[in-house]
Formats: sequence, structure tokens, C-alpha cells
Amino acid sequence: MATKAYDKSFREEVYDKVDAGEEIKLCMQCGVCGITCPLRDEMTYGPRQIWSLIRAGKRDEVMNCSDIMLCTSCYTCKVRCPRGVKVIDVMHGLAHYALQEGIVPRENTSKFGKFFWNSIYKTGRIDETEVPMRYSMRRGPIHGIFETLEMMDIGRALLSHKRMHFKLGPGIPPSKKIKGIKGLKKMLDKAEAMSPGKEA
Amino acid sequence: MGQAILVVGGGMSGVSAALEAAEAGYDVVLVEKNPYLGGRVAQLHQYFPKLCPPYCGLEINFKRIKSNPRIQVITMAEVTAIEGEPGAYKATVSQAPRYVNEKCTACGLCSEAVEATVPNPFNYGLDEIKAAYLPHEMAYPFRYVIDGSIVEGDQGAKAKEACPYDAVDLEDQGSETVIEAAAVVWAAGWSPYGPAKIEYYNFAANPNLISNVQMERLAAKGGPTEGKIQRPGDGAEPKNVAFIQCAGSRDVNHLPFCSTVCCLASLKQATYVREQLPGAEVTIYFIDIRAMDRNEDFYSQVKADEKINFVKSKIGLIESDGEGNLILEGEDTTSGERFKAEHDLVVLATGMQPNTDLTKIPADMVYDEYGFVQAAEGIFGAGTVRRPSEVHVSVQDGTGAALKAIQLVAGR
Amino acid sequence: MDKNYACYLCKGCGLGEALDFEALEEALEDSDISEVKDHEALCSPEGVALIQADIDGGVNAVLIGACSARVKTDEFTFGKEVLVERVPLREQGLWCSEAEYEDEEEAGEDRQMLADDYLRMHAAKLGKAEIGEPFQLEEDVEKGVMVVGGGVAGINAALAAAKAGAPVCLVEKEDALGGYLGKMAKLGPQSPPYQELQDTGLEELVAEVEAADNIKVFTGATVEKTEGAPGNFSVTLSNGESFRAGAIVQATGWNPYEAEKLADELAYGTSDKIVSNVQFEEKAKAGDLGGINGVAFIQCAGSRDENHLPYCSAVCCLVSLKQAMYVKEANPEAAVYVIYKDIRTPGQSEEVYRQAQELGVVFIRRGEDYPAISGSGPFAIETQDVTLNDTVEIEDLDMVVLATGMVPNNPSVVEPPLVALGMDQDEAAKLAEEAKAASDDWSVLNLEYRQGPNLPTLKYGYPDSHFICFPYETRRTGIYAAGAVRRPMRVTQATEDATGAALKAMQSTRAAEAGVAVHPRSGDDTFPDFFMQRCTQCKRCTEECPFGAINEDAEANPLPNPTRCRRCGVCMGACPERIISFTDYSVDMIGSMIKSIEVPDEDEEKPRVIVLACENDALPAIDLAAKNGAKWSPYVRFIPLRCLGSLNLVWIADALASGIDGILLFGCKRGDDYQCHFIKGSELANVRMSKISETLDRLVLESDRVRVEEIGFGEVDKIPGILDEFMETMEEVGPNPYKGF
Repeated sequence: MATKAYDKSFREEVYDKVDAGEEIKLCMQCGVCGITCPLRDEMTYGPRQIWSLIRAGKRDEVMNCSDIMLCTSCYTCKVRCPRGVKVIDVMHGLAHYALQEGIVPRENTSKFGKFFWNSIYKTGRIDETEVPMRYSMRRGPIHGIFETLEMMDIGRALLSHKRMHFKLGPGIPPSKKIKGIKGLKKMLDKAEAMSPGKEA
Repeated sequence: MGQAILVVGGGMSGVSAALEAAEAGYDVVLVEKNPYLGGRVAQLHQYFPKLCPPYCGLEINFKRIKSNPRIQVITMAEVTAIEGEPGAYKATVSQAPRYVNEKCTACGLCSEAVEATVPNPFNYGLDEIKAAYLPHEMAYPFRYVIDGSIVEGDQGAKAKEACPYDAVDLEDQGSETVIEAAAVVWAAGWSPYGPAKIEYYNFAANPNLISNVQMERLAAKGGPTEGKIQRPGDGAEPKNVAFIQCAGSRDVNHLPFCSTVCCLASLKQATYVREQLPGAEVTIYFIDIRAMDRNEDFYSQVKADEKINFVKSKIGLIESDGEGNLILEGEDTTSGERFKAEHDLVVLATGMQPNTDLTKIPADMVYDEYGFVQAAEGIFGAGTVRRPSEVHVSVQDGTGAALKAIQLVAGR
Repeated sequence: MDKNYACYLCKGCGLGEALDFEALEEALEDSDISEVKDHEALCSPEGVALIQADIDGGVNAVLIGACSARVKTDEFTFGKEVLVERVPLREQGLWCSEAEYEDEEEAGEDRQMLADDYLRMHAAKLGKAEIGEPFQLEEDVEKGVMVVGGGVAGINAALAAAKAGAPVCLVEKEDALGGYLGKMAKLGPQSPPYQELQDTGLEELVAEVEAADNIKVFTGATVEKTEGAPGNFSVTLSNGESFRAGAIVQATGWNPYEAEKLADELAYGTSDKIVSNVQFEEKAKAGDLGGINGVAFIQCAGSRDENHLPYCSAVCCLVSLKQAMYVKEANPEAAVYVIYKDIRTPGQSEEVYRQAQELGVVFIRRGEDYPAISGSGPFAIETQDVTLNDTVEIEDLDMVVLATGMVPNNPSVVEPPLVALGMDQDEAAKLAEEAKAASDDWSVLNLEYRQGPNLPTLKYGYPDSHFICFPYETRRTGIYAAGAVRRPMRVTQATEDATGAALKAMQSTRAAEAGVAVHPRSGDDTFPDFFMQRCTQCKRCTEECPFGAINEDAEANPLPNPTRCRRCGVCMGACPERIISFTDYSVDMIGSMIKSIEVPDEDEEKPRVIVLACENDALPAIDLAAKNGAKWSPYVRFIPLRCLGSLNLVWIADALASGIDGILLFGCKRGDDYQCHFIKGSELANVRMSKISETLDRLVLESDRVRVEEIGFGEVDKIPGILDEFMETMEEVGPNPYKGF
């Protein structure tokens, strides 16, 4: 019994509306992307299968799958793809498109993204202490303390390697801003306005 | 010799071009870089799909060359410059010193006398060979070579002393000659794509990870192991062998084209393993199996072997288990399962890089973006410098190139 | 010829220390050779000068006791007027025969006997050999080439030959040149960057043919009859025209696998919108691809299917990619699917695959099962989608294209099994009849050949050849297949293939003119001579010649055609009357070699074994084994044969009658994956041997004394074992009772 009917509307939607969406046309289904991904064990499908689902027109499966939010931009898949498909661009494109469409396949990821973005927007840099702190507090301070304690070993290690600096809590003390933060904000605002789906 | 045809490359395409032109009544100068003719096929254990030894056909070809006075063979030589125009070329042929002249009887005394060894290029560096050596057991010309590294010093002197026929010439400086030719057939062949360039396969770090050309030598009776398929790392008999297809080919980061022969080569090598080690399992990891025309029969035959498995997956990572075995990671694209598979010997089906991509023809020629030669008037590409191809296509193409060259000679 | 003999013995490579040269000289006492010289290194310039000086002084028959004839060929070749016989004392005497002995004296004795024997054997052969005149056709040798088939391969073969100076007659059955090229709208991308469709270029090709003053075109005609032989074919066409041709290129192309046969699997015939790729191409050429919004191409429609065409037709993937590009060109919005098993785009054509993907063609990998097509337009297809790991449905397809394969346009020939001597003749006739019935009953060339009108074929109707190493060599000399009739191939490949075939054709007319053989014994100017007075019309030679060289007259007398002959000697081996000989190879010569072996008395316990070995594979393999240091019994003597198929059974009788204890026959691999350079030689020898046990029984001898082995380059390491084991067998069966008779 045919459980899946090919429907060209979704792949055309992806080609048209998703940043780098047309890239997936070139996929020859070799499977390298899925295996080079450091988060492969976290993924339900992996890029190759997502492309397959897009070509078959499986909009819901794709837009609601957390895989598209997981990409850490490590670039390995993009570098190794034998067809030169810009895998991360498509993954981010899909994630962005899903958010735009009001679909949030992975709440935590999107929240992390928000804190990440806020840090850049407000200070012009990623504060490696501030962002995780805010993220861990996303469900309230109690939950945040427990989550932080769980991560204590990693935190200590990062501190000892000077990969992180000490803070009492989010905004204490406040993160340093870069020079010319106003200019950066302007640029980011403009880029936001120009991104796909926003032209109109 | 102004009406001669110059054939560059003494592999299957070049030998075919030279013979077919000579047997049609034209003078031919055949220039080969190695000290022997036969090119890459001389290093193969068997041909697919018949699983027959390449020397069966090569021997006939060499017999044809020996009995044909129209062919002049120059080994250890390269064409370094071509001047002139279609119908009237002057080509500079630089011959490297062999340090052994035509008086050599191939008795082997020089080799016995010398202790120094050098990496054996015929076995793709899998073993060492005496520095005074016969390039391989069936070499044509059947004549020894002395490696340049021992010429100065006692080893070279020992070789010279051992030769009763005055065949060792340590003063050999090589030579440079200019050959007049009406047409040139460029049949310089291919090189195996360097497996180390695919960094995520960690080729250099894993002795039990070999390339398909090395596998041919492992299976060949004249190879480093006398034909025993064993792990280069520890000499152990493999029980679970993997072949990784498209190791470099069909990959825009490496060789964007399909190398055409690697699927069949791996199917063939799988039969080497199965015949020699009946208990061994074989797994072939592939994207598409490209067994064209009657080769499909061979594919069907190999598929019927229960111990040969096919997994549709490009392998994305190879890591050592620390004890000589290799862990392959891939995604089985038929099930979507990501897997880790352990194998004790892994063969990379590396592709064919045209030698014209590595060294251009010393003349004004056009190439495609991969380095394959395009059609030209007067200098004709033949064989794998035009496209990756099987042996029979090289023969066909060499024959065709011979006629194109003849048209130039005959037309004058 | 008046022979003036001399023998030259080499003392180099250890021969000088290992052999007694006075004894060697004595071994030749009974021969015609009285002049015997030796040299420290015969192949050195001084050694060669020694021989040359004698030749200049009148010597014209030279026996060289040194190394194998496979080496030092240039040094020991003295022109066409001098007979040279090489005695491989080094490879077959010194290198291989140092088995472990009780004492060195005995070892030396055995080695000396071996060398003495070899010298006598080859002297005997030299004594019988002559220098002959090459065969010359009575008629002038025709240099023109007939090309049959005016498609891409045929046109290119004609142009290639004509440009090299050979006149060409080009025969095409349709009214216009072009074949399938003429039915194509475009070619797929063929040149860098391998992305654009290209014109077929047919008009230019046809214009070139028309402009060539040495190409004569016959359209609307087929070949009614082809008589004769290379250098002298007489061809009659269906339109009544006739001409001579020196050689033939058969470029008859292909036929599409009949889509009608896919009615069950792929609903062909239920709608005119379910079409074959050939039909789709016709629509494209007619500009009839408008209004397609959805189309699916189904690959391997018949190909790679044991119920249809088990082989891969090699072109269909690229054809579908091209046709998908047509659709996308006409309507970029169209949904185009290619449902495939493996995408096979070799070499640079991988770029064509990428290009089609770039245009938005969707590729779905199916499994072994055919997709199910339903509806009467629009259609729906249900297929396995391997990379989705599911079954999927594709709807709204205006058209379904079946990528059907290529069948060679060549009659398939089934050969009767080779008939063993003494087999029931009725049974043999029945087998022949069955094979004939299983063969196609039409012909392209209508050859007036005793063995039938067609090129012998391999599986699937492709002409028989050594398709790896020597793909052009068919089993009919001077007739070369080119293009898709030879194996499935694309337009560019057919173009190249045709160029090579044209050269082969031109070579064969040249060989006919010079009176020499073509491949694999290229340049051999001997040919089989038939002593017809003693012929018994047994037909064995005419039946067994692997190349169909010998015709028959009404009384069953053989009518040899030396320009068709490849000089394998199969006829010589077949002939029970021993009336077929070459000037340097005959039943008598080999018989004399055998008889010149000195057989020690039974009580000396030194058995004698001869190995009749194919000189193309087995003998070089023996040389190689020897070079590698393999050792075996010094009681073994090798005798080279042109092909094991030239084995005449009388040699077995001769050998056994003269007290030889055992006989080994080394030939090439036979069967489907045969390696025999003369196709059937090894197989024929085996068939002949299958009846030898009767002869042995008659002589009251054990059948163990004669054995056939397949020996080639793949068996080098097995040679010592085979010889050792055979020597043990000889020990078990004991000495030949005919010793001393």
C-alpha cells in the first residue's frame, strides 16, 4: 500500500522560499551528511532523509522535525558533501522558514537561539557565561539552579581554561558592549528586514 | 622517420595504437615512462568480468611488437616538448638512465650481488625491491634496471662487478633525442587518486586500509605477498573485508566524475577474497553500482554470493579501533539507519585521475575541467586521458587514435 | 630450399658450467648439422656477429641453443631468408630442472640428457622446416571496404576509412543514411561542461559522406550475398548491384527491446501515453512535447531483468536524462521523475546527472520490482522508494516513458557442441540441427561460408571476440563489428568505435596483399597447405576451423581460403590423414621432435614425459615459473604448439609407440570465459582427447598416461605441482611397455 504520495508543492515551496532551498536538488542520496554530523545521534532523520522527505512533499514531517533546529554550523557536512550541497545553509534556511511560518519544532533550540541573538544584538558579542545562564533560567530560577549544578563540572573546566568568566547571575555584572554597538544594531535591523519572506 | 607516428604511453591504449598503426604499415615510435610496457594493466591480478590474467593478452601484444620491425620502443622516457604542426612535429624525448644496457640477459646476478633495497613502485610501495631489479617478472623489455640511488657507491660497483656481460653501465647519463613525427597519439594513462586526500578516511594512519590498486598487488602471485590476501598491518588473514566505492570519485571535492571501473573492480576483488578465503565476509558500500552492459552478468553472479553484502551508503568516517580493525560509519540509505561496522581490512575504491591532469601535454591542447584531453588535430588523446575507461575501451580508442594519426600521414 | 646449417650454443647465464658442450655437439651427430660453435654470451654483439658472419658466408638454417625464443628476439632475427630455431636451454633446461638428486653426478647426467634431447628435437624441426612464399590471391587484392549499416557507426567508419585512403561502399537498408541518429531530436551533453543538449550533427556527417569522392552509398539495399575472403570479397546487394570489397565493417546497430513484451509489467499498450524511450524521442523530434506537466521515466524497462534482457543496455540512463531535459526545456514547471535501480552515468557524464538534478528532475530509487502503473491518463505510479524506505505514489502523470534497452541488430548464432571423434554421426547431426534451429534464421552479410552465413556470437547475439583485450577481432577474418552491434554503446562511443574498426578493416586488406596473417599471429607469412590427393572428405577441417576459413565443394573437398586463415593449425590437428602443413609447422615436424627424444631403457628408471604446450600462454607461463625458480623433473620435455587445437592425435600414438611414458597437454582456459586466442583450440583438443582412451585401450595402455590441463598465466604457480603429480602418476602406472620396440 502506498503510504506516501509524491506532492511537488512542498519541494517547490522549499526551492522558492527557503534560503538555499534549491541546493537539495543536487542530492544523490549517498548519506554522508547524516554521518558526518556531530549531532547525528540526536537527529531523527538527518539531512539526507529530510531532502528525501522534501522531494516527496512531506511538509509536516519536515517542518515539525527538530533536526532542522539542531545544526551547530560545524560545516563538516557541507565540506564533505560530494555534491557540494550547502547542507548547513539549507538546514538554517529550513529552521528560519519554520519559525517564520510559526512552527517551532524545538522549543529549547529556539529559546537558546533567542538568548544567543539577544546577546549579540545588545552587546555585539556572545557572552559565554551570560547566554547559558539565561538559557538555564528559561523555566525559572529554581530549575535554573538545578540545571546549572548539573553542568558544574563543565563550568569549572571552562573557567579553569579561561573559556568562561565568573558571574553571579545573568547581568551581574552586565556584559561588556563592543564599540559602535549602535552601528551593529542598525546593520542587524537592516539584515532582518532583507531576509527571505520579509521583502514584501 | 618524418612520417612516423609518435605514441606516448605504453599502456593498453598506447600499445594498441602503436601495434595497430604498425600493422597497417606505418612506422611508430612508442615512448614509455616506466622501464616496461603494459602500464596499469600489467599491475592487475585479473580482468573483470572474465577473471582472466592480463598477461594473456599482453604477451600476445608483446609478441606482435617483437616481430614487428616498424615499432621502436623507448622505455624510461618522457616527451618533454613538442614543436611543429600537424604532419610535421618535432618531439623531444628525454630518456632517464637505466644503468643497464641491451647486453643484459636478465640472469639476475646483479640483483643477487646488491643488498640495498628501494620501495617497489610496481607493488605501489607495499614492499621493497633490490636496487638492481627486474621491474616485474613478466617485464617487457626483459631487462634489469639499476636504481639511481646506488649508482654512486659500493652497491653500484657490486652490481657492475657481478655482471659477466658488461651490461651494467654506471656512466649512463640518459639521453635526449628529437623525433620527427607526422602525428602524435597521447596515451599517458591515469594515476590512482590519492586516498590520503580524503582526510576523513585517515588513510595514512591505518595500515589495514588500502587502495584498490594495492589490493590487485596483494592478490597477484607476483605481488608482495605472493598472492596471499592479508592485512598489511600484521599479515593476518582478513575475515571481514569492506570495499568503499566512490572513494574520491563522484565527489566535487575530489574527482567530480565517475571513474567508471571502480564498481567492477571491487566486485572482482570481492571474488578474489571469496575464492581465497572461503570463510571471509565481504561488504561493498556503494551509491550506485555501475556494471554496464555484459558486466551486469558479473554483478548478478557476485550478488548471488551470500557472503558478499551490498550496503547502499557512502562511508562518512573511518576510525581505528586501536587494534588494527577499522570502524566504518555510514547511513544505510535504504533503511535510514546509521551504523558503525567493524572490518579487519578495508579497500578504498579510488578513482582514475587522468595523467594529463597531473602533467599537461607539452603542446597547445584543450582539456575539460577535470584534465581530460579534448579532440585536436595532429595530437590525438587515447584511452584514459580522454575519459575513465575499461580496458576494452582503451583498446578501441587506441585503435581509433591510430587511424586518426594515419589519416594525417596518408594524407600527405 | 638448400639448407646450410649451423648450430650456435651459448655458454652464458650458467649454461657453460652446467652442460657438457662436447656432448651437446655429439647429440647432433645424427642430424644434418655439422657446424657447431659456442660462445660465452651468444646474445652479446660479438656473439651475434659470429652468427651473422656465418650467415654472410652462406649459412641459412640456424639452430640457437641459448634462451627462450621469447627473449632476445631482436638479436636472433636474421631476416626472412634465414631459418632460425631457438632451443630454450636456459628456461626449460637449466632454470627449472635442478631437482634434488642423490648426487651431483646424476643431476648433471639428467640435465645433460635433457639438453641433448632439446637440441636433437629442435634440430629435427629445423631439418623439416622450409622458407615458403607468402600466399597470394590469384585476383588483385581489393583495398576497398564495405560498411554495412548507415547509422552513426557506419557513417563514421566509412568516413574514417575514406579519409585514410580506402575506397568505401556504404550499404544502408533504409532509404536515407542516419539510422537511429536520424530519429534523435538532440544528443545529450557530450562535451565540456557537459551540461547542454547538442545537435546530432547528422546533416554534417551526411554532407561529408556525399562530398567524399571515394565513398559510394547504397541506400534501400541489404546484402544478399557475400562470397570470398579478405582482399577478395564479392558482394551482391538486394538491389542487384554488386562490387568487390577487401574487408567489411558490420555496423548494423541495434533494435529497441520490444516494449510490447512489457505489457504485463509496465502496462505498455494500454495507452498511447505510455511510450518507449524511442517513441518519446520521435515525439521530441516532431516537436510534440507540449502540455506535459508530469512525466515519469522508468529505467531498466526490460534491461537488467533475467526475464527480458539480463544485461545492462548502458545508454538508457543517459537517454532518460536527456529526455528529462527536453521536458524541462519545454516546461520548466513540469514534474519530472526518473525511477531507477542504479543511475549509471559513467565518466564525465556524471555531470549530466547533476545537470538534470539542477533542472529539478526528481530521482526515485526503486528496488527490483517494477513500479505499478495505473490509470489511463493521467497516470499514477506506485513504486518502492528505497531512500524513503517506503512505498510511494506519484500522481498526475501525463506520460510514462519506459527506458527500454538495446538489442544488437545481428542474428544470434548458437553453435553445436564440438563433436568428439568417433561420436555417433547421427547424434552429431541431431545436435547440429538443434543448434541451427535455435539460431536466428536471418542474416546481415549472407556469407557464403561453409559454417554459416553469420558472425558467430556470444550470449545475447553480440559477435564473439576476446571482448576485453581484442574487442574488434570477430571470428570471421576481415569482418569487424562496430558500434552498438558490438556491445551497447552511446553515440560518441560508436563514433570512436567505428574509427578503430575502419583501421582493422584496412589492416586486413593490407595483410591479404602481403600474404600474412592478421591478429594474433600478425605478420606470419606461412599458411596451411593441403595435400589434396590424400583427402578423404571427412570434413573435420571445414567443421572445426574456429574462423570458418575453409569452404567445401559439392564433393566435400575442403576449399581453403588462406586470407581468412589465422594460422592456428586447428585444421592440421583435426586432419586424420595429416595432409595439412605449414612450412615451419607440420604433423611431421612435431612427430619428428617427439621421435628424436632418446628414451632410456626401462631398467634405467628414467621415465620420459612430453608436454605439448600452447605457445601463447602455457609456454610463457612455463618460462615465468622457471624464472621464478620453480623446479621440476628433468625427465619432462616441452614441445610448443601454435595452439593446443593443432594437436594431432597421431603425436600421442607416436609418443607412446616410441616409449614415452606420459603425455601432458597444456592449453588455455576453455568454456564460456575461454582464454584461447584461437577461440576453440583448447576446447577442440579436449574433445579430441575425450576419445583417446579408446586408442590407449587398444594399445593396452593406461589412460592415466595422457592428461589435458588448462595452463595460462593464472596457473604459473601450479605448474611444478602439476608436473610433480604427473611424475608420481607415471611412477604408479610404471614404465611404458613399448619402450625399446
